[in-house]
Amino acid sequence: MGVLLKYILISMVTTAMLLSAGLFAGVSAYDDTEFVNLLNTAKSAQKKASSVGGEWRDVGKFIKEAEQAAADGDFDRAKKLAQKAKTQSELGYEQAVSQKGKARNPSYLR
Amino acid sequence: MKNALIATVLVLAGSLFVQVLSASPEDDVRLYQDYFKKRFPSIDFQEFANGVYAISAQQRENWEAIEEFPPYEPFIERGESMWNTKFSNGRSYADCFPNGPGSQHLYPQWSKEQGKVITLALAINQCREANGEQPLKYMKGPINDILAYMAFESRGQLTNVVIPADDPRALEAYEKGKEFYFTRRGQLNFSCDQCHFPNSGMNLRSDVLSPAVGQTTGWPVYRSGWGTLGTLHRRYSGCLKQVRAKPFAAQGEEYRNLEYFHTYMSNGIVLNGPAARK
Repeated sequence: MGVLLKYILISMVTTAMLLSAGLFAGVSAYDDTEFVNLLNTAKSAQKKASSVGGEWRDVGKFIKEAEQAAADGDFDRAKKLAQKAKTQSELGYEQAVSQKGKARNPSYLR
Repeated sequence: MKNALIATVLVLAGSLFVQVLSASPEDDVRLYQDYFKKRFPSIDFQEFANGVYAISAQQRENWEAIEEFPPYEPFIERGESMWNTKFSNGRSYADCFPNGPGSQHLYPQWSKEQGKVITLALAINQCREANGEQPLKYMKGPINDILAYMAFESRGQLTNVVIPADDPRALEAYEKGKEFYFTRRGQLNFSCDQCHFPNSGMNLRSDVLSPAVGQTTGWPVYRSGWGTLGTLHRRYSGCLKQVRAKPFAAQGEEYRNLEYFHTYMSNGIVLNGPAARK
């Protein structure tokens, strides 16, 4: 019983250490306020574009790549990608909203 | 007197303008089909069921060679086996489709009870779930087997999508599908019609763009690019990705409404699925 308890304790401590290492890695990946703000703005813009069916194909990929670049410490690349995701989301939103309710047979058919 | 005349002319012009803006589905289908009849005057109307092979002699040669040993045959055989296999509760697909496997001409249909467009693929999964079976995935895999068998058994019937007049939600679904079709999407800012109306018959690299009318008759389709059979909604997703728009979920409201509009456009054209395409 004592041996079993010891093993359980060791595995709990190991798990906690691994988890905290992962968490710290996560924190350091986003340890750039400008990037964090940009990423959040990009994600909000993506959500907004998606809400009107206007999200463009690569926005999700750009966000994932931005997060990966930040995790690798390459914040210049991360910011460029997040900016790209934000811009494309805004354009996708405008594109969708500008046409909502206006679709009809085009002039070449009339 | 002069003012009354001007007012009358304005009212008439206004009502004409409103009519142009709010064309009925019947007006639409006439407009679309006439457009392609004029665009490809030498093509027999029923030939539009063969898509691009109706309008490109060279690609038709390739296609006819492929059709000598149709790549979709094994799928039909598997689908037939699925149709004839009882569910675990002892019932079968036949209990859900009283007209038998040749029921494709009844879909997509408006369901007043469910308040939405029901496609054949959705009806198949509703049947499975009602009988305690797992639903099938909507783009790849076994759904194509059962769809292929049902399409094969439906060959020769005519596309006949109905928009019931007693439920305004059906017309709303059609209008939503129409709006989707004519809306520009993605980074390339393309709408469906831009490729498949005024540019149909034109080359896009080595491909010829198919006419919109007749595009829905042959599904599921064995596409050489896929190396397998796939559903119409899989193709919709492929189109959206090509214009760099994020695709929607297969059998989601957007694609079901689009299929409703898109298939209605081919009313009167013979069903000839499953088909092979480049």
